[in-house]
Amino acid sequence: MTLSLFIQSLINGLNQGAIYALIALGYTMVYGIIRMINFAHGDFIMIGSYTLFYTIPLMVNAGMPAWLSVIFAIVICSAVGVLVETIAYKPVRKAGSMSALITAMAMSLFLENLAMVLFGAKPHNVQKIFSLPSVTLLGVALPLNVLLTIAIGVAMMLGLQLFIKKTKMGKAMRAVPQDRDASILAGINVNRVITVTFAIGSALAAVAALMYCAKYPRVTNDMGSMMGIKAFIAAVLGGIGIIPGAMLGGILVGLIEIFVKLFAPGWYEAITYATLILILLVKPSGILGKNVGEKV
Amino acid sequence: MTKGKKLSYLLNLLGVLLVFGIFVLLFETKAFGASTQYIKGICTTACYTIIMVASLNLVVGCMGEFSLGHAGFVSVGAYASAIVSNLLTGKGLPDIGLFLAALTAGGLAAGLAGLAVGIPALRLKGDYLAIVTVAFAEIIRVCFCNFEITGGGKTMSGILKLSDFYWCFWIMVICVTVMYMYIRSRFGRTVKAIREDYIAAAASGINVTYYKVLTFTVSAFFAGVGGGIYAHYMTAMIPTNFNFMYSAELLSEVIIGGIGSLTGSILGAAFLSSLPEMMRQFSQFRMLAYSVVLVLVMIFRPGGIFGEWEFSLTRLLARLRGRYHGKTGKGGE
Amino acid sequence: MRKRFLSAALAAAMAASLLTGCGSSAQQQAAGSTAEPAAESAAKPAAGEPAADSDKTIRIGVVCSMTGGSAIYGEGAQNAVTMAAEEINAGDSEYKVEIVNGGKVADDASDSKQAINAYNSLMKESPDAILGCFFSSVTLPIAEQAAKDNMLLLATGATNKDVTLKGPGIFRDCFIDPYQGKMAAQFAKEKGWSKAAVIYAKDDDYSNGLKDAFIENAEANGIEVVYTGECTTKDTDFSSQTSQVVAKGADFLFYPCFLDTVPLLVSAARDAGFEGAIMGGDGWDGADTSGFEDKFENCYFTNHYSSEDTAPAVANFVSKYTEKYGAESLNACAALYYDGVYMIAEAAKNGGGADSASLIKGMTGMEFTGVGGTFTLDENGDPEKSVAINTFEDGTVKWLMTLSPSGDKK
Repeated sequence: MTLSLFIQSLINGLNQGAIYALIALGYTMVYGIIRMINFAHGDFIMIGSYTLFYTIPLMVNAGMPAWLSVIFAIVICSAVGVLVETIAYKPVRKAGSMSALITAMAMSLFLENLAMVLFGAKPHNVQKIFSLPSVTLLGVALPLNVLLTIAIGVAMMLGLQLFIKKTKMGKAMRAVPQDRDASILAGINVNRVITVTFAIGSALAAVAALMYCAKYPRVTNDMGSMMGIKAFIAAVLGGIGIIPGAMLGGILVGLIEIFVKLFAPGWYEAITYATLILILLVKPSGILGKNVGEKV
Repeated sequence: MTKGKKLSYLLNLLGVLLVFGIFVLLFETKAFGASTQYIKGICTTACYTIIMVASLNLVVGCMGEFSLGHAGFVSVGAYASAIVSNLLTGKGLPDIGLFLAALTAGGLAAGLAGLAVGIPALRLKGDYLAIVTVAFAEIIRVCFCNFEITGGGKTMSGILKLSDFYWCFWIMVICVTVMYMYIRSRFGRTVKAIREDYIAAAASGINVTYYKVLTFTVSAFFAGVGGGIYAHYMTAMIPTNFNFMYSAELLSEVIIGGIGSLTGSILGAAFLSSLPEMMRQFSQFRMLAYSVVLVLVMIFRPGGIFGEWEFSLTRLLARLRGRYHGKTGKGGE
Repeated sequence: MRKRFLSAALAAAMAASLLTGCGSSAQQQAAGSTAEPAAESAAKPAAGEPAADSDKTIRIGVVCSMTGGSAIYGEGAQNAVTMAAEEINAGDSEYKVEIVNGGKVADDASDSKQAINAYNSLMKESPDAILGCFFSSVTLPIAEQAAKDNMLLLATGATNKDVTLKGPGIFRDCFIDPYQGKMAAQFAKEKGWSKAAVIYAKDDDYSNGLKDAFIENAEANGIEVVYTGECTTKDTDFSSQTSQVVAKGADFLFYPCFLDTVPLLVSAARDAGFEGAIMGGDGWDGADTSGFEDKFENCYFTNHYSSEDTAPAVANFVSKYTEKYGAESLNACAALYYDGVYMIAEAAKNGGGADSASLIKGMTGMEFTGVGGTFTLDENGDPEKSVAINTFEDGTVKWLMTLSPSGDKK
C-alpha cells in the first residue's frame, strides 16, 4: 500500500465516519434520555432526505443556497418524530423495553413502506448541495466536505453537551432517566421532556440527512434500515447514551470499514462487527462508558 | 398427582391428534378447493416459524434477555441440514430418515454455534447483549456469503423438497413439547430464577453462566431445526434471506404473542406469518398494512397478546365440565 | 379474570381472522369463477369473450416484487404486463390473455418465503402459465415447485443458470449470467482496454454470475484483471474500492449491479479520479443520471434492447410505455415482463392450446421477436439473443452497437 493510498483511505474513512457520527448523535441522544433503542431513527433520516430532495429545487429556483433546505427538513423531521412518539411510543412506554423496541421496528417498517407509497420506489438523485472545492494535500485530494461534516458534528456535539448540562430543560432531561418518579415529584413534566427529546433527536437526523445527501446523493425508501444498525453500532461502541461517545464510535466504525475494505472487502461487515464484539467483551459499557457496579 | 399428570399428557396428545385430524380432513377432502396448496404452504411456513419463535422465547421469555440475532442460528441450521441432506441423498435412506438426519444435523450445528456465541456474549446483558447477538448473526451471514460450500453468496439451490406439512406438523409438536418440558424442568425454573433476581440466584449457589449458556444453546438447537425445515421447504436459499430483518420479525412474533408464553409464541407465529398473506389484496400497501397492525397490537396490548398466560387443555376441560356440560374445547399445547 | 377473558377473545379473533383470511379467499375464488365474465368485461372490454371460449384464453399469473427494497421493478412489471395484455386482447390474435389475480402482479417482496406463497396464491386461480420473478434467489424456490406442478414458468430476470434446469417447463427471456459477462469482455477487447477492475455485490446471484463470466472471458481475451473488489447490494460507500481501482491503474471498471447503487458508484469512481470506462449489465437500465450527467460520460451497459432502437417492437414499447406511465419505471425489467406476456401468447399459437402442456410444447425451442430482439430458446429453455451496448450522452442512454451471440457487430 502506498502512502497516498493510505492517506486517501484515511480521508475516506473520516468522511464516512463523520456521517455515521452525525447519525449516531441523534440516536444516542434519544437513548440516553428514554433508554429506548429507536430503530426508526434511520427512517427519520430518510424522511429528511426526501424533504431535501423535494425542497432543494424550490430553494435553488428562489435563488437561495441549496443547503437552506435543511430548515424544512428539520421542521418536518421534528414533526414526524414528535408524531411518532405521541402516537406509537407513548402508549407502550410503560410496558418495558422489549415492547418499545418492537414498536420502534414496526414504526421503521411503517415509515419505509409509507415512503414507498408516497414517493415511489425508484431511487432519486439529490441535487448537488455544496460546491466545495477539494484541496490537494500530499498528492491526495481532500474534499472540504469532510471537514465540514466533522465540523458540524463537533458543533452539534458541543451544542448538545451545553444544552444538556446548562439549560433547565437539559437538566430535566438528565433527571428523567435517573429516576422518573422523583423527577415527577420535582415538578418535571416527563412527557414534555420526552417529546422535546424526540424533537431534538429528529432535528439532528435532519442535519445528518443533509450531510448524508451531500456525500451520497441518492434517496430511496429503504435507505434508513442499514443506517439504523450502523448508528446503533457506532453508539454502542462509543458508549450508548454518551454524546461524545457517539461521535467517537461513528468515526471509528467509518475508519474500520474503509480500511478493511482495502484488504478484504468481502469481509468488511464481519470485521466491523467482530471489533464491536471484542470491545464490548473487554469493556462492556463501550469505550467512553462508565462501568456501573451491580447494586444488591 | 402422577395419575393426573398422565391424564393431562393423554388429553393433550388427544388434543393435538384432534387438531392434526382436522387438518388432514380439510386437506385431503380438498375443502379449500384450488387453494389447498396455498393454505398448506402457509401452514408449513407457520410450522417452522412456530419452532423458531418458540425457541427464541426460551431466551426472551424464560431468560429475560434480548436476542436480535436468532436468524443467525436459523441460517446455521438451514445450511448445515442442506449440506447433510445433499451428502446423504442416494445412500438408500428413506425420505423421512434423510429429513430427520438433516434436521438433527442442522440442530446440532446451530446448537454448537449457540454455544460458541453464548459463552462470550452472555457475559453482557440488556441492550448490549442485543447488539452483540446482531453482530454475531451478521458475522455468520457474511461467512456464508464467503464460503464456497454454501454457494459463496449465490443462491444455494437443489435442496430436496422434503418439508411436507404432515411431517412438519409432528416435528413442530415434538419440538414445542420438548421446549415446554424444558421450561417446566429444573433447568427452566432455575433460569427463571436467574431472570427474576440475578444476584439472589448466584448467592443461592446457582451456576448462573452455565444455565444461561445451556438455555441459549437449547434455543439455538431448535432454531437450527426450524432452519432445517425452512431449507427443505424453500429448496433454495441465499444468505441475505437471514438478515437482520428476519431476526427482527422473529422477535416481534415472540413479543406480539406474549413474552414467556409458549401459547403466545405459537399463535403469534401462526398469526404473523400468515398476516402478510391476508394482506394480499392491498397489493403495494400490503407491508404498510402489516406494520400498522403490528403497531396497533403493540399499542393496545403492549405486553403481548397472551402475556405470560399459558393455554391448558386440562384446565379448560375441567372448567368446561364445571360450567357448561357437553361443550368441547379446542386442542393445542 | 378480565384480562384472561380479553386474551381469550383476542385469541379467538386471531384464529377467526386466520380462518376467514383463508376462507374468504376460497370463497372469492368460488365466487370469482361465476362472476368472472361480468367483472372482466368491466375491467377489460376486450376480454369480455373468455366465458364463451375459455380454451382460447391464456390465464397468466405474474410474480414480481411490489414492496421491499426492489419495488421499483414491480412497478415496471405491473405496467408492462397490463399494457401487453391490453394490446394482445385488442389485437386480432386467436388467443386472448387474462392476468389472474384481478390483473394484479403478486408480490414476492424479494423474499423467498413470500415468493412461494405468492406462487401458491396464484396457483389457486389455476393459471396456465406463471411469469416471474425478477431475482434468482426468489425464482429458484418457485421453479422447483413449478416443475413439480408441471406448470409453465417463464422467468424474467432470474439469470442464475440453475433456474431452467429445474424442469422442462421452465424458460426465461433474459440472458443467463455468463452471457453478459462474456459480452462485456468482448466489448472491452474491441475497445482496446487491457487492465480491467471488477467491483461486484458479494451477496447477489446476478452480480456474482456476471463477475465470474467476465473474469473468465477477460483472461481469454487478453485483458488483465488487476483488481476484484466486493461490496454488498445495500452499500452506499464505494470510496475505498474505487481508490483501489485507481491505485491499481485500471482503465476499465466492470460493475455488474442493480440500478439503485449505480449513480453512487459512478460518482465515487469519478471522485476518486478514475477516468476510464465504467461498464455494467442490464441491471443498469433505468438508473437515474440526473445531476451526474458529466460523470456518466464514458459509461456503458449491456442490455436486451436500446430505447433508441428503431425496430418496430422496441419503438412501439418505449413510446407507448412512456406515454402511459412515464419514463420513471421504464427499465429492463418492464421490457422483460412485456416480452414475457407476448412469448406466452405466441407459445399458445405454436402449441395449439391455452393449457399448460400445450404452452410448454409451444414454447420449447421457440423463436421469438420482441423488445429483446430476435432469439431462439435453446434446449434448456434459455434464450440466445443479441446484446445491445448502450452508452450515455448528457445523461441520456444512447445506443452504441449490437453484438450478436456469435460475436458479430452491428
